[in-house]
Amino acid sequence: MTEELVRMEDIVKSFGKVQALKGVDMEVHNKEIVGLVGDNGAGKSTLIKILSGALSPTSGKIWFEEERVSFQGTNDGIKAGIETVYQDAALVGQLSVARNLFLGREPLKKNALLPSLDKQYMDEQAVKLLQQVGLTTIDPSAKVNNLSGGQRQSIAIARGMFFRAKLIILDEPTNNLGVEESRNVLSFVMETKERGHSSIFITHNIRHIYQVADRIVVLRDGKKVGDLTKEETTMEEIEEMITGIEVLNA
Amino acid sequence: MTDKVIEKFAAHRELGPLLLLIILGALFYVMNPAFLSVLNLSNMLGFIPEIGIIALGMTLLLTGGEFDLSVGALFGFTPVLMFILRNEGIMSIELAFFVVMAIAALIGFTNGILVTKVGISSFLVTIGMQLVVRGSGLYISNGFPQSSWQTRSPIKTALAYKIGFPDSFFQIVVSLFWFLALVAVGYYVLNHTRFGNWIMATGGNEDAARARGIKTDRVKIILFVITAVLAGFAGVIDAFRIRSAYPVSGTGYELEVIAMTVIGGTSLFGGRGTILGTVLGVLLLRTIRNGIVVVGVPGLAYNIFVGLTILAMMGIHAYLEKQSGGVS
Repeated sequence: MTEELVRMEDIVKSFGKVQALKGVDMEVHNKEIVGLVGDNGAGKSTLIKILSGALSPTSGKIWFEEERVSFQGTNDGIKAGIETVYQDAALVGQLSVARNLFLGREPLKKNALLPSLDKQYMDEQAVKLLQQVGLTTIDPSAKVNNLSGGQRQSIAIARGMFFRAKLIILDEPTNNLGVEESRNVLSFVMETKERGHSSIFITHNIRHIYQVADRIVVLRDGKKVGDLTKEETTMEEIEEMITGIEVLNA
Repeated sequence: MTDKVIEKFAAHRELGPLLLLIILGALFYVMNPAFLSVLNLSNMLGFIPEIGIIALGMTLLLTGGEFDLSVGALFGFTPVLMFILRNEGIMSIELAFFVVMAIAALIGFTNGILVTKVGISSFLVTIGMQLVVRGSGLYISNGFPQSSWQTRSPIKTALAYKIGFPDSFFQIVVSLFWFLALVAVGYYVLNHTRFGNWIMATGGNEDAARARGIKTDRVKIILFVITAVLAGFAGVIDAFRIRSAYPVSGTGYELEVIAMTVIGGTSLFGGRGTILGTVLGVLLLRTIRNGIVVVGVPGLAYNIFVGLTILAMMGIHAYLEKQSGGVS
């Protein structure tokens, strides 16, 4: 087994009287793609928001690179090397690709009288990045609104790679995408691994997760009900774990 | 060919209002050459900086995805309080100026906190604040204008000194330079700074901005403060220029300013803003208001023209948005 990147231990999260997570453990190893699946309300989003720093857990411990961490906001998560690509909130549509790429980490011109964005550097780097990931048809000054859903997801993922994120969290990256676009995004996810990144891939689509994940974690009603390598399981078994139907059959 | 033209206009929202400004200016001049007379121009240039300064704040705030309906009330309230503080002998006019600017900032801060932390929509927050601020101005002044004709102060000179030209009616109020300086600052901030990028991101997709670690609440609060301070500042300039502060002054400015801003190409829904467009929007609406009077349209009819211009420009922007495959 490769080294451990993330370990979450006994994570509990309550919203008022509702307990969204009831003590979940989860690990991610280096260069591993973990599929995180579960029905609506199973606690997937809550779990990754806690990992990325967007939410604080009610209780539980998190280790990142074997160091105990307690993020006080997404900034802390980003600094540690965790990039989250939310399905509807990956990019800002009105901004250019280049501005999106550097959002929150804008480079400033050196030797400028006033602190000013280094737009030339941003454009150059954007071109370089787009070339690296094979999206050469995209103009870095194009508004994101004018791109397809798949292109947006790819750019958001590429941004994580560009900033050398250790862990890229993908929140339903293939949702609302066509077959061809999904395939592109999936191959993109595979590429993150080849380049040495780990990722957590959240989805409803078991077929998609099965294509790319090394290991699959199943949540149901705020609890972990399955944690299996792909070799150990089948799509049918995962589906049963998600819905809990096998409990009824038993 | 036409596609290229549409693309150009979509990418540079300022072109539409600029074109309209030139056409209307020429039209008014042909119909009555007095439109470009020195007297008329200096009249227009007296007020444009004031409403323009409010519009600059509103541009940034709208780009950040919020708006402020209390700016007109602040425009009236701030100078009224300033003159009361001085006329009642409580403090010097200089000190009073800084005190009321701080109070304007506090009002903007309150708007920002209520919108971001309490989670009330900016429409409700600022309409409530408008009543509070307007009501306060009326209450502390008993509804009477506060005269300042005898006030002499470096502040007054710095904000509203009138530069005359010998043998001419033409005069420039120094507030024009304040406006131009603030335009430059606004342009720089919105287009060339990190904060400007955060403003556009916050207004464009707040969740995405937050996911990038941008403190979107803080961005919005700062914008509310800037907007309120600029509205108060414009009110003070106005009061110094006309030597009186009226507690009802600025009534309805909030909508006029939003119209100017949106005509210029700033989106009402956030994410896209243009300072130069706002300058053109301000010039355009003031030109129309002034021009239709100069060419003899009955005063009671002139809101019709203002309204039609706003609708026409909105139609053009909506068309461009669709053509450029942009936001819904």
